[in-house]
Amino acid sequence: MATRLSINEIRYIIDGVEQDFRTDGRAAEDYRHVELESRVLPNTNGSARCKLGKTEVLVGIKAEVVDVDVHAPHIGKLVITADCSAVASPKFVGKGSEALENDLTNILSFIYHSTETLPLKELCILPGKSCWQLNVDVLFVQCGGNLFDVASIALKAALHNTTLPKVRVSGEGIEMEMEVADDPYHVWKLDVSNWPICITLYQIGCSFAVDPSEEEVACSEGYVHVGVLPSGDVSSMEKSGAGNIDPTVLLEMVEVGVRVGEDIHNQLDKQLEAEKSLAKL
Amino acid sequence: MATEILSAEGLRCDGRRPQEMRKLKCELGVSEGADGSAIVEQGYTKVLVSVFGPHECANRTARNHERAIISCSYNFASFGAAVRKKKMTADKKTTEVGVMIQNTFEAAVMLEKFPKSQIDIYVQVLQGDGGERCVAINATTLALINAGIPLKDYVCACAATVFQDSVLLDINNLEESYRGPLFMLAVMPQTESIVQLQLDHRLHNDHLDKVVRETIQGCRDIKVLLDRQVKEWTVEAAAAYEIKPRV
Repeated sequence: MATRLSINEIRYIIDGVEQDFRTDGRAAEDYRHVELESRVLPNTNGSARCKLGKTEVLVGIKAEVVDVDVHAPHIGKLVITADCSAVASPKFVGKGSEALENDLTNILSFIYHSTETLPLKELCILPGKSCWQLNVDVLFVQCGGNLFDVASIALKAALHNTTLPKVRVSGEGIEMEMEVADDPYHVWKLDVSNWPICITLYQIGCSFAVDPSEEEVACSEGYVHVGVLPSGDVSSMEKSGAGNIDPTVLLEMVEVGVRVGEDIHNQLDKQLEAEKSLAKL
Repeated sequence: MATEILSAEGLRCDGRRPQEMRKLKCELGVSEGADGSAIVEQGYTKVLVSVFGPHECANRTARNHERAIISCSYNFASFGAAVRKKKMTADKKTTEVGVMIQNTFEAAVMLEKFPKSQIDIYVQVLQGDGGERCVAINATTLALINAGIPLKDYVCACAATVFQDSVLLDINNLEESYRGPLFMLAVMPQTESIVQLQLDHRLHNDHLDKVVRETIQGCRDIKVLLDRQVKEWTVEAAAAYEIKPRV
């Protein structure tokens, strides 16, 4: 993923971002064309494929019934694992991808770990005993910059079409039993109206931009991940990468992040609704 | 169990006849970052292969002065199987499949054309429903063609099993798990030379000839479909340069 640029190219890219006119003609707040496909993996409870620029991600969600966490007995669990396939680059063979995968797993888990914002209560089956655990596997098939945003868009789409079997709870007290439905049509879907997506803003020169190309990432110093909810609230924030960020610039970044995030949520929701009308499940 | 594999009417669990292959869908050039790539889907088994190279050998001690070397890595996605599999690096089984694919293509690629170089083949199984090794080999053939690496011939692979004296071709996950013989064959269809052969469990000697013949036929059928897709892709790719190739 390392691109080698000359000093003049770097200057050109930085000037472009600062003047709100990037090398490909986009403004600092513009995203490239997003390609999204849902339910691509029949073996999973929910899945999606998202392609943005040169990055392509496959998200598969598999659910299983597990024991509740002792510290949080009334909610379900969400476990996110990122995997960079060797198919994306020879650098990812064997242990080569470990550093990047850890980074991705940590940031994505961080964006999606807030128990106050996420409706994890829905996933509880028997309070204090059993709950659903959603195992989210994010597979990067092509890596070309802006990995976190693409992953979170695909994740939201995958959650949107995740179907979980209905569980019938019978009995009382200690004798409570649960029966997971066998019928593939006896399912229920999650409410994704309050799940965040990650918007990453990269500081380039004195300004910042979203959805950078690989060359723009090479010119950036430091980036901020903002978890944006559909309501426009910020659920989490983290600064990464090497480089200092000015506090006033940071406030602007968050503002832009929220604006862009709300827009993406709107468009994504519209597309997902349109998709729902195509399939009858 | 017996009726699940082959019913009284002679139909398999997914409604196919014994010699019927699964629906094959393939596409070349799916991954822009790679030199060559392809996705092949047979039934519910979906495999993505990327090829990088020929490029300079990463490991100077492994370099061969007369021919290129092939390095292959095989990976199964966590969400690929019916039961979720946590990612394990260098799992013995996956390493073995990687070596098998490497050996297969060392026989098929014209390695003498690229001395001192390395060709990387990366296989990612996105969905597994039986026959993943075969689909991987078919996808690798297409990815190598997409990368422009010269091959002696297509390498097509097919897996089969024998049940109640019938040969079942292109087996799915259920048919793989009933503990019958698992016969995999990779063939270069034009010369009908066998590049790879693997048999698990027990196969009666009487059935051997029949299984080999029918599996070779299965491989030939796969070649027809792969070839059709390659020609389609060639015409499309050439059209971008306003060339009309003769296919």
